[in-house]
Amino acid sequence: MSAPRTIAAARNDGLRVYAQYDGDFEEEADVLVVGSGPSGAVVAHGIAAAGRSVILLEEGPPFTPQDYEFEGSLSMARTMREAGLRRTEGTILPTMQAIALGGGSLVNSAICVRPPAFIFDQWAEFFELEHTSREVLDPHFDAVEKFLGIAPTPENVQGRRNLLMKEACDKLGYSSEPIARNVRGCKGSGECFTGCRARAKQSMDISYIPEAMRLGARVLTSVQVQRVLHEGRRATGVEGQVVEPLTGRPGHRFRVRAGTVVLAAGCMATPVLLQRSDDLANRSGQVGRNLQFHPGVAVAGIFPDVVNPQFGATQGWQSLEFLRDGFKLETLWAPPPVSAVRMPGFGKALLERFHDLPYLANWDAIGSTHRSLGTVKARRRGMKPRLKWNFHHEDVKILTHALWVIAELFFAAGARKIIPGVMGLPPEMHSLDDARVLQTHPIKARDLISAGNHAFCTTRMHGDSSLGVVDEFGRCHDLDNLYIADTGIFPRCPSVNPMFTGMALAHRATQRILESL
Amino acid sequence: MSVLIVVLVLLALLVRRAFFGYAKPDREFEILVPREVALIETTAEVMFPAGGAIPFSGLDADLPGYADRFLSAIEPGVRRQIRALFALFEHVTMFFPAPGWNGGKRFSSLSIEQREIVLQGWSSSPNFARQLVFTALRAVLTMGYLGHPEVLRRLRLAPYAFDSPIVEADLLYPKIGAHPDMIALSEEDLTPPSDGTPVDLEGPVHHLYAETSQEVAESPP
Repeated sequence: MSAPRTIAAARNDGLRVYAQYDGDFEEEADVLVVGSGPSGAVVAHGIAAAGRSVILLEEGPPFTPQDYEFEGSLSMARTMREAGLRRTEGTILPTMQAIALGGGSLVNSAICVRPPAFIFDQWAEFFELEHTSREVLDPHFDAVEKFLGIAPTPENVQGRRNLLMKEACDKLGYSSEPIARNVRGCKGSGECFTGCRARAKQSMDISYIPEAMRLGARVLTSVQVQRVLHEGRRATGVEGQVVEPLTGRPGHRFRVRAGTVVLAAGCMATPVLLQRSDDLANRSGQVGRNLQFHPGVAVAGIFPDVVNPQFGATQGWQSLEFLRDGFKLETLWAPPPVSAVRMPGFGKALLERFHDLPYLANWDAIGSTHRSLGTVKARRRGMKPRLKWNFHHEDVKILTHALWVIAELFFAAGARKIIPGVMGLPPEMHSLDDARVLQTHPIKARDLISAGNHAFCTTRMHGDSSLGVVDEFGRCHDLDNLYIADTGIFPRCPSVNPMFTGMALAHRATQRILESL
Repeated sequence: MSVLIVVLVLLALLVRRAFFGYAKPDREFEILVPREVALIETTAEVMFPAGGAIPFSGLDADLPGYADRFLSAIEPGVRRQIRALFALFEHVTMFFPAPGWNGGKRFSSLSIEQREIVLQGWSSSPNFARQLVFTALRAVLTMGYLGHPEVLRRLRLAPYAFDSPIVEADLLYPKIGAHPDMIALSEEDLTPPSDGTPVDLEGPVHHLYAETSQEVAESPP
């Protein structure tokens, strides 16, 4: 048995960054993976662990702590596509997708939740899936959990902002729990969204990817894949261009050939890539359709005593009490400029609200809005998606209900006022009686200040090849060796934060890929 | 012919009134032009006024500097949209005048009272599009205002000071744009990972947010 490779050797052999590209190039591997987010990283690691050659391609650069920005908008400008200002047409919904080694795991709050069994039962029932029950997937969840050290957020780094939700849920008799996260040694600095300076978050760039490189994986960063190469029912590789970090300026061209191609570029980028590749894998007509989100609404509660909201796990506490009603409750923190963006008014009134920031807790709800659908389409040029999405009125009711429940929770916890963030309603409510307008006022989609950063279903799995793009193992129905491993393959929104489910599905797909090699 | 000359002269006057006559900023900006600097400063003066709950006004917070950094950091398409937003705010009062004498000037030339009334109109408009535009402008300025170290320090919301452990990944990745040969670390430099000790709420803030040299000394980079 050969000695384990050192990190230094991995550095020399495995990684290429922008400064190392000095001309057009070609590469070859058994498997190539497009996208280094959670799902792609799991696949690349699994292939490398089995001793097969694998190349992981990522459009973004690796970020070091020196590259992190504290300031929210500047951080988003560096780490997010379209500077974090991407949005849908139709109902305007801001949505963020990361562009960095490690994908969204670099800048998310590390939430790892297994969807309850009933979610998978619904998937099975409506999408003709026989092998995607919670029971079948549990060993894959277990494997990822063990690798990343996923564990409930410890109490000593919850901070008051998170524990107030526990207190509120206890008072109202709602179930709640600490959020399980892929974090080791959290210091409670509340900086998940701008990059974890404590290096505690096990984002892919410091967990799966270095380990994959140690096992022999090659990682090419700052490369934009623009086309999947194919012949008949086989994908043969990909081609694209080197892009300068942060500016996206195109440079040298490249081509990578592989026996198996795995697309894990994300729910927005993967369908565009297929559309740009002669509308590949789209005999069903489902590529780019069925776009779903977990739109979120947040309420700010202002307490009589200092909350110190900047301390504590970014999202440390949750309640799944209302999952069957269509929403999940969680605590939330973001850099102050981002947290305050939705505060209403201007002038001295706005400064008063900013002055309340140390007394503030933000709690949010994400909705299982599977009636609200959209599309992802390639634009005439480039790789940017055009997103259309419409909020279904029944789904608006779900979030309106969630707003009321959050209001109840805040006042149960002793908040002196809340800022509900609903256009057309009073900007501040000082009692539960004030908040009853959330139940009585006919709130429309555009009244909600909402965002949807979990996106799904644009290359959905379906047992019937005429109704879905991939089978339940992620293999495209139309091709023998093209797999998709990102949240686009979810047949329906999973009702809980999707990263863990995506990784479990990717872990399972890896086994299937290895069997086929 | 004379009508045409009159029309052209009026047009020239209108263009001059709309786009010229801005004071030259006291420093160079990478992206912003004088009219955008004027708009941001005069909006900030009303959006985050002196004498409010936070004794540090929008004018103190160098929002043009922030906006310039932000616009430099984003891609051209998004940058164009934000600059169009600035242009809309600056010039719309020429077509929908602010109340009072001479209210038909560009926004940055209005009196502070008139600017307050104009912002109030945008802020409380029942028109969804107007509210959206106002919210977007306020968001850009809020990001800059609340991103200012002085504001965060006064709110006790500045990032904490603590050392980042050196992990294996730090031996792999160079700073963005650099060659891996520039990585000066080796396996001997690895430090123990975070042990989960919470940050000290009463401890020093990160050096970029520290107020005095003493705080800087206490706060490692």
